[in-house]
Amino acid sequence: MTYIEYVFVCMAAPLLTAMLCTEKRNRTIFCFCIAGMGMCLLSAYINTFFAGIYHADMIQATTEIAPVVEEIMKFLPLLFYLLVWEPEVEKARTAVIVVAASFATFENVCYLTQNGAENLAFLLIRGFGTGAMHVVCGALVACGLLFVWSRPWLRAAGTLGLLCAAITVHAIYNLLLSAGGVIRLGGSVMPAVLLAVGIMALRRIRREQAQSGI
Amino acid sequence: MIEVIDNLVQIAVTAAAALGSAVAFGRSRRQEWFLLTCFYGTFALGGLYWVLYLLLMSRTPQIFYVSDLCWAATFAFLMTLEISLPETEEERRFRHPAMWLAPCFCVPMLIFFMRWGDYAMNACWCVLSGISGWFSIRGMLYARRQQGQERERQYFHMVVLVFLILEYALWTASGFWCGDTLANPYFWIDFLITGSLAVLWFAMRRGETAE
Repeated sequence: MTYIEYVFVCMAAPLLTAMLCTEKRNRTIFCFCIAGMGMCLLSAYINTFFAGIYHADMIQATTEIAPVVEEIMKFLPLLFYLLVWEPEVEKARTAVIVVAASFATFENVCYLTQNGAENLAFLLIRGFGTGAMHVVCGALVACGLLFVWSRPWLRAAGTLGLLCAAITVHAIYNLLLSAGGVIRLGGSVMPAVLLAVGIMALRRIRREQAQSGI
Repeated sequence: MIEVIDNLVQIAVTAAAALGSAVAFGRSRRQEWFLLTCFYGTFALGGLYWVLYLLLMSRTPQIFYVSDLCWAATFAFLMTLEISLPETEEERRFRHPAMWLAPCFCVPMLIFFMRWGDYAMNACWCVLSGISGWFSIRGMLYARRQQGQERERQYFHMVVLVFLILEYALWTASGFWCGDTLANPYFWIDFLITGSLAVLWFAMRRGETAE
């Protein structure tokens, strides 16, 4: 049996210590790091709870329950940040990415403690696949926020819409991974491909903005 | 089989429209194109999840309807698009009694649909489609009172109304008819929805060219 809350304490402790040693304005990033890992821990509990309630098998738990729970949990720190601090869009985007990356990191650490680290090739696929997928889902919300930030009602509806899109991307990824064979392989590279396309599109947008002097 | 074909056609059309909208957004930087990209993108994603689940698992999702969440997002983007389209204060303040047709239609339908599905999701569809309908009627009536190029926007609002009515027809059909054959009117209506989604892109384009 793996005590993931102990893993969480072990991982959060150095971050907490480092946070106390840094300047006040730099502490936010550590907060989001710890929040991301904390949300991963809570997601594990909630996933197990729903799987028990609905008598879900492994496939149902990974393709129907986990994407919804994990994306909503990842979104909660951002929601708190948006509602309480009303940050600028750039800060909100950074927060989403940091929460997503730390969520994926904690998930990978838990996976390693349960399954060991013997197979490097598999761990590379898992690291870049699942890790990139969480970042892709975070980036989807983060980049979308940039374009729905102008009015409060648009921000609310747009953010919820983007969250639903992120849930579906996550669910499609889990669905492909649960299939096996070539489909599973395709699913593994899907987040990396999406990330590459997204980065290229974003660079192009920035270049055009720089050229037009926006 | 027909369900998979229907879904694949719909995914292809909405994905192509999402791509077209994204290109138009890249060129014009207009927010309505971004919202239309999200509208088509979420529609395609919901369909993709549904059809993948159907093909890989040979059954439909049983616990959480991820596709429904995505399609709710589709309606949320359509609603925000309809709200954010007016550019003048005059249009924003424009009111007409016909706008009440939207809630007068959606609320009885909500009560009717309560016999199937869960209450929260039905209420969600009713609110989102009701608000979209309200603003599309306003947009259409306002555009029809304009002269020259500004009238062109009426077609976009008309197609949105057609899309909403077809969605209600689809939900009603799904409650009365079952079966994976073309004899099921559900598929005819779904093909019409696919058509209306394609026309919506061109209607938006026409409205934009008018500015």
